Amino acid sequence: MEFLIVSTLNGVIYGMLLFMVSAGLTLIFGMMGVLNFAHASFYMLGAYFAYTLSGLFNFWVGLIVAPLLVAIIGMFIERYMLRRVHAHGHAHELLLTFGLVFIFEELIKLFYGDFPVNYQRPDYLNFAIFNLFGTDYPFYRVFIGLVALLMFIVLFVLLTRTRVGMVVRAAERLPDTARALGHNVPMVFLGVFGAGAALAGLSGAVAGAFFPTNPNMALELGVIVFVVVVVGGLGSLAGSLIASLLIGVFSSFAVGLDWSLASLFSLIGLGDWANSLGGLVTMPLSSISATVPFLLMLIVLLVRPAGLMGSKN
Amino acid sequence: MRYALIAILALLALLIIAPPLLGTGWQYALINALIAALFAAAFNLLVGQGGMLSFGHAAYFGVGAFTVIHLMQSVEYGDIPFPTVLLPLAGAAVSLLCGALAGFFATMRSGVYFALVTLALAELLHSLAPHWDEMFGGEAGLSSMRMPSLGFTFGSTLEVYYLTLSWVVICIGLLYAYTRTPFGRLTLALRDNEQRIRFMGFNAHGTKIVVFAISAMFSGVAGSLMAISNETANYSVFSTQVSALVVLHTFVGGSTIFFGPIVGACVLSLFTFVVSGVTHSWMLYQGIIFVLVMLFAPKGIGGVIQAHIEQRHALPWKRLAAPYALATLAGLMVACATVFVVQSLEIVLSREYAAAVARTGEYAPYTVFAREWQVFHPFTWLFPVLLLVPGLYLLRRAFARIQTLWDKDDDDDNGDIAAAPRELMEGGH
Repeated sequence: MEFLIVSTLNGVIYGMLLFMVSAGLTLIFGMMGVLNFAHASFYMLGAYFAYTLSGLFNFWVGLIVAPLLVAIIGMFIERYMLRRVHAHGHAHELLLTFGLVFIFEELIKLFYGDFPVNYQRPDYLNFAIFNLFGTDYPFYRVFIGLVALLMFIVLFVLLTRTRVGMVVRAAERLPDTARALGHNVPMVFLGVFGAGAALAGLSGAVAGAFFPTNPNMALELGVIVFVVVVVGGLGSLAGSLIASLLIGVFSSFAVGLDWSLASLFSLIGLGDWANSLGGLVTMPLSSISATVPFLLMLIVLLVRPAGLMGSKN
Repeated sequence: MRYALIAILALLALLIIAPPLLGTGWQYALINALIAALFAAAFNLLVGQGGMLSFGHAAYFGVGAFTVIHLMQSVEYGDIPFPTVLLPLAGAAVSLLCGALAGFFATMRSGVYFALVTLALAELLHSLAPHWDEMFGGEAGLSSMRMPSLGFTFGSTLEVYYLTLSWVVICIGLLYAYTRTPFGRLTLALRDNEQRIRFMGFNAHGTKIVVFAISAMFSGVAGSLMAISNETANYSVFSTQVSALVVLHTFVGGSTIFFGPIVGACVLSLFTFVVSGVTHSWMLYQGIIFVLVMLFAPKGIGGVIQAHIEQRHALPWKRLAAPYALATLAGLMVACATVFVVQSLEIVLSREYAAAVARTGEYAPYTVFAREWQVFHPFTWLFPVLLLVPGLYLLRRAFARIQTLWDKDDDDDNGDIAAAPRELMEGGH
């Protein structure tokens, strides 16, 4: 019971974090058709900027200013790089963002060193919010979840209930018509790219203070974010929320379970035979937990490439 | 064409004659460059000719490597006799099978979705391998020894080099021959207009699977050669870095030309060998080169060279000479400034330097470009600015001039109308 509740709670909060990063990626893809490899780098930049700013000023300045800096970088990339190679097709845009991943990672290593930095949350956020089965549950985990929830609500209201959101959706669905009606579509693209980068930066600034902040964080998260976006459906915000929660909860459960394919076989009385096979069949779920998301991504891509919630493409 | 043949033969002669005169370090670097060249050429069969962008080619490279390591272990323990010289055949066979299987699924999708399937497949292997001891030897990986065969002991790096060279030359030759066959033309057509291929009665999916499998097979040969050279392999051969590096090599060299990726792989691997001995930031330089190529020369180094060769009779070389020289000079200035800034940062922001400052309480001068620099001296800060700003300005001027000379040439040159649509077609990919 304890395992069940704590794992669910941790999983949901990790899922919310994944959602914060993937929201921007899926928005950008839905609108511009660009699969931005460098998106997780924005997450890393957010964490490092917030680390520097919290050292210079305080934690809250870092939390607010770091996403803005990341947004500026994102907009610069859209305006002066992606727009330049746009004429050469989507493959080139993909490759360009792919190259940027290396540059960001190496620049971070250059400035901060190839080791984790000590980015800490302030002491007054360091308390237990409630007590679960004798263990204190840190408030900061809940804080991460709350920030993500707030962001989802703001984003949802902005996109569906305001005039800005209407223009953005119009530019996504029918860019030529939106342009003909007098809207500055390239400007909208620029704004969406900046906003997406800022969201990733914000999640980095929030999560970096809890999880380790190191130069590998972009690479580690990057592939998982791709999984989330694909499973949820490229371009679908609601889909990526569901997929994030799904993968978050799964990852947090998988590390604590030692089920394997062999235990599945033993349910029907073939346990001994399966154990004698060894190899893949007897591997516990906890050790292949990193593999399952990719399997899920593969199955979704092959069976339903539009993802859980994506419209038919 | 005749010049190209002479150039290739001369290069081959150089590759045969030179290595005994070089040290083991360079021999080893050349082995890696050759393997990278073959890997890039195999990758480009899929990407450049087949039009399918894969982000997980490390999978087939790694499968080849592990196959050979397993076989080498069996030979070492005397279970099966198998000549060391022919080991890559085994890697090729297994990679071909894996490629056919993976290709069957991956080619059901196209574009970004295809890229994501290949990425997922490679990540699947990469996340599974460290936990699967029997197959991939866990995190430590597997190792073995090269056994003597056909009178060679394969004890020295030089013998391994010649083995690698022979395999790479044969495989690249086969890959080139492939482009000349009707099936090779069909591969190109598949990239340019898949729908039309279907209308003409070809099986597009089947063709794609074959192209994928052949590309995987030659990648497997490259992986095998890597395993033979290193005598070891671990799960990191499946990593994103390996898949990424071959993408970098291919597109810096230029994916629209057969020899582009080979040039790119050789240049970048040797660049890495030279630069990584001097600085930790070699990956940064490689990333910058890649992004610059993507921005300013989308067809890669090979594309630029090819454009010059095609236009060699029409270009006003005499009038171009001055702007080209200026561009080279300005480019050097900008590169110099960049390297200076990066190297200075690398030294001044390092842990050792910070520790020295904390110990002695003063900022000691550091050495870049064989000269001592004071951290807070104005000239240290002014130096890169003085190079960068005029350098960028001159670069813009020079390229504007080059652009007008090239364009003017196109206007005069009405005879070569056929070149225009070809340019357009290639620009679309």
